[in-house]
Amino acid sequence: MTEHTIKTNHGRNAALLSILPGIGQFYNKQYLKGIIFLILTASFFIAFTDTLSWGFWGLLTLGEIPNLDHSIFLLIDGIIALIVTALGLVIYAFNIYDALSNGRKRDEGRKLNSVKEQYHNLLDSGFPYLMISPGFFLLVFVVIFPILFVILLSFTNYDLYHSPPAKLVDWIGVQNFIDIFKLDLWRETFIGVFGWTIVWTFGATTLQVALGIFLAILVNQKDLKGKAIIRTVLILPWAVPSFISILIFSGMFNESFGVINRTLLDAIGIGAIPWMTEEGWTRLALIFIQSWLGFPFIFAMTTGVLQSIPDELYEAATVDGASMLQKFRKITLPLVLFATAPIIITQYTFNFNNFNVIFLFNGGGPALPGQNAGGSDILISWIYKLTMTSAQYGKAAAITMILSLIVISIALWQFKQTKSFKEEDMM
Amino acid sequence: MKKSLSIFMMLVLLLGLLAACGPDREAREQSTEDENNNTENQGEEPKPEKLVVWEDVDKGIALEPAIESFEEEYGIEVEYVELNMADKIRDQLRLDGPAGNAPDVVTLPHDQIGQVVTEGLLQEIQVEDAVLDTFSESSISAQMFDGKLYGLPKSTETPVFIYNKALMDQAPETMDELYEQAKELTSGDQYGFIAVLDDFYMAHGYLAGMGGYVFKDNEGALDRNDIGLNNEGAIAGAEFIQKWYADGLFPSGIIGETGGAARDGLFNEGNAASVMNGPWALQGMKDAGIDVGVAPMPKLPNGEPVKTFMGVKGWHVTQFTKNPYWSTKFVEHITNEENAKTRFELTQEIPPVKSLIDDPIIAENEAAKAVAEQSQYAIPMPNIPEMGEVWSPMASALQTIATGKSDPKAALDEAVETIKTNIETNHPGN
Amino acid sequence: MSMKKNKIVRLTVSYLIIAFVVLIVIYPLLWVIGSSFNPGQSLSGSKMFPENPTLDHYRYLFDMEESNYVKWYLNSLKISVMTMILTVITVSLTAYSFSRYRFVGRKNGLLTFLILQMIPNFAALIAIFVLATRTGLIDTHLGLILVYVGGQIPMNTWLMKGYLDTIPKELDESARMDGASHFRVFFQIIMPLAKPIVAVVALFSFIAPFGDFILARIILRTDEKFTMAVGLYEMVAKQFGNEFTKFAAGSVLIAIPIAILFLFFQKYFVSGLTAGGTKG
Repeated sequence: MTEHTIKTNHGRNAALLSILPGIGQFYNKQYLKGIIFLILTASFFIAFTDTLSWGFWGLLTLGEIPNLDHSIFLLIDGIIALIVTALGLVIYAFNIYDALSNGRKRDEGRKLNSVKEQYHNLLDSGFPYLMISPGFFLLVFVVIFPILFVILLSFTNYDLYHSPPAKLVDWIGVQNFIDIFKLDLWRETFIGVFGWTIVWTFGATTLQVALGIFLAILVNQKDLKGKAIIRTVLILPWAVPSFISILIFSGMFNESFGVINRTLLDAIGIGAIPWMTEEGWTRLALIFIQSWLGFPFIFAMTTGVLQSIPDELYEAATVDGASMLQKFRKITLPLVLFATAPIIITQYTFNFNNFNVIFLFNGGGPALPGQNAGGSDILISWIYKLTMTSAQYGKAAAITMILSLIVISIALWQFKQTKSFKEEDMM
Repeated sequence: MKKSLSIFMMLVLLLGLLAACGPDREAREQSTEDENNNTENQGEEPKPEKLVVWEDVDKGIALEPAIESFEEEYGIEVEYVELNMADKIRDQLRLDGPAGNAPDVVTLPHDQIGQVVTEGLLQEIQVEDAVLDTFSESSISAQMFDGKLYGLPKSTETPVFIYNKALMDQAPETMDELYEQAKELTSGDQYGFIAVLDDFYMAHGYLAGMGGYVFKDNEGALDRNDIGLNNEGAIAGAEFIQKWYADGLFPSGIIGETGGAARDGLFNEGNAASVMNGPWALQGMKDAGIDVGVAPMPKLPNGEPVKTFMGVKGWHVTQFTKNPYWSTKFVEHITNEENAKTRFELTQEIPPVKSLIDDPIIAENEAAKAVAEQSQYAIPMPNIPEMGEVWSPMASALQTIATGKSDPKAALDEAVETIKTNIETNHPGN
Repeated sequence: MSMKKNKIVRLTVSYLIIAFVVLIVIYPLLWVIGSSFNPGQSLSGSKMFPENPTLDHYRYLFDMEESNYVKWYLNSLKISVMTMILTVITVSLTAYSFSRYRFVGRKNGLLTFLILQMIPNFAALIAIFVLATRTGLIDTHLGLILVYVGGQIPMNTWLMKGYLDTIPKELDESARMDGASHFRVFFQIIMPLAKPIVAVVALFSFIAPFGDFILARIILRTDEKFTMAVGLYEMVAKQFGNEFTKFAAGSVLIAIPIAILFLFFQKYFVSGLTAGGTKG
């Protein structure tokens, strides 16, 4: 084997020749493949030269003439050019890899595949790629593309006074990030809002998860009657679109006219509670609402897990003299948590960014003296307010980036801790 | 290693190449110059086939007769689309304009003009003085920004005193009188007078009436550095407001976003004898079967009127139109006396056309008359972009004043402080 | 004896707790149904059991001249059904690949997308708008559907992959031995076994569009093309209008069919989610 590699350098030669796609394949005497690569390359450049030159020009300059060049549109065209380039590079890399590996095969003195074999080979190894390509393609445009946009936007000075079409937007490096930590107003409010965001995320999520699991176990008791109907009712909150429920709650919690103060609390002799004007009560109401909205999902998941736990496990435990509590702690809970852990994590990150419930319930209110954000504003709703009233798009993007870094690192760390992801590859 | 390096080098080369060949600008620059020429030699602008107009929701019926006569006179077809004016027209114009499907003419509330012009969405229009003279002065000044005219006024509105004739015989002359009446009328679910005073739009009248102001008005130019929302007058106004809440005359639930809805609900069900609200609410009240009376706001304790905010809706020519001349013509056409009158008849929107104020159609309409009268004391909302920084801190301050959480002076001082900081951070350089 | 007594106590307490929770769950729903029958427009006058109930609001919604509600409803149905079909197809294909094949990016690809989706994209709404404009998909239902489908892929793929992992690999291997093609194995062996999770994915992707009003407001521009959610949101958001009772009626009409679907699919759900969950 080693002798061969000393004698010939087909692998290296083919790879180097492939800098012009297809030539390496010709060198390997795989003419059909070479022609395909050549045609692909040519058509790529014919089809995309305009898109690319326009896109990269726009990305670098963000436009030169106000009222004619729209910086933001140019930025977006630039991102499209980036994506197209990335796709091209993937094909290009594959071309070099192909030439290299086939050249190596020749170095090793092995026979190359015939056209027919190649076709079958391509079909087999290409099948998974073929299957994921529609989904992947959509994801690139729906998930990757907006993220690229936000990232790039955070390095621009896009705000009211640099708004196309009247003005151009410029690259300003990390100035936005510096400003966020330098400006007193933003920094000071940031700390207050961040504190509540953390409390909210953990309070609301933990409560909804605990409630879901607790109820699932409660309903799953063997001798409980009417399981089907109870389960049906309990997943109703999940079935109603959440923005409708939130708006309904917002009506119900109204201090003077809402049914809660007026009818429910009145009936048990408690005076009106300032749900909308005292931050403490608003926060409490929000946590309650989120639990109401969120528990059914956990409930359904847990119910599923519980039903899959074999009865023998409990019977064996009973024989060993385990108490109810022991059975719960040693069997039920670990199994449930193990199975639902990834879902629970996504619930935490979801609530961290749960704009709808905060915004629709009380608009982030009540107002607090001496600060920019309302008493129930979490980071995301506060950013929304800042952008809407001040049109600070660049800064908003920068804060979004900071936020995302927090969420992503927590999520990643959590996922890594979760067994079910570790075992993923064992199948 | 070598391979990845060479790929990288290739990439850099490629990028450099692509970036170097920017677009061929000359042809495009040429065409913009042509367009500019067009706007200057207006008479030569060829007639377009069609103009597109964005109108406020439910107000299209008032536009139809005007469009018909315009088509007849000039042979230009006009198409209108109804959009929610509050912010949708602005937001959509921002997106659709540069994307190439912008309308030629839009309607906007005047307080958005400064911002929208700064973003370059509207263009200045040239109108003869004779046309300008037909409108009230304050309504034209509301359409000006930086000394340039950006539209013609379509209608004005300002909050007035609206009462339920079944519960209140006639409108009181002074707020003190109203306060006494309210005390008598308020019990349980019944209220004498309701105003949503944690909303700065409504509260401004009281602060300004007592001597406060948002931005100092130096002969038409607003001074963004002189904010009078925590001067003695403003504080007195805020104290006056606080009294109503503290004495339990307003239900505690009319706070925040849903306050307005709650007020409307109470009035429409006959549970509130009077409210402070805009003329836009009248139709709903009549539909609810209330026998409404409308009057200007009662006088404040210092003898001054409540200096409410005036909103002026206007018609504007967008930056993106290819037919600025004909669009301006259309704007002139739909705001002329005849079409303004039709608008009032069909939508009850009050046009600030001088000759119509004394027209029996308005003079004999109780609501229109009250609004017209109140408009004399009203102050147009500032239309500079800095105004955007005022709303939210003031709402916070007023809310804490209303709930009694802080004392008026402290709250207003803090609000003004916040407004100033925000203006400095978000509107540098001006 | 004490065992039995214990049991009675336990069950009674359980029933009491459940009854309490059921009450809390049902109350707001009943209240909104009640509101929709209230005469008048506003929230403050709404009662759960109105004294003189009226069908006016429903009549208004169904009056094609007065409101576009029926159109919105049909739009929403169309968008949801299309989203569902496309999601099920793409997700099944992707999940199958992730479950059965080895390829570049398999290990971390899915996780990456799951995490990337956590980035809030307020600031990127304009990007989506421009992209849609550039591709001519602005103000079309197709554009909106594609965005929804894209958003549905990661989570649902992850769920379905978990389920497919529980189907023994020997099944498709032996079929492959017998000479079945990739697609035949997929369609005739795997898919029939995966019915429960397909049902779950279908349901999820069917209801997701009903809850979104942010994306739909950006992409859809004309009133006739609106979805239910956008239309209802505009109804509450109208600055000077207050149409709570109409909103309530509209909400009831949207919530009832979805709730029924949910209940109908419930049985699949449990088995579908479980398998997917236990074997992440």
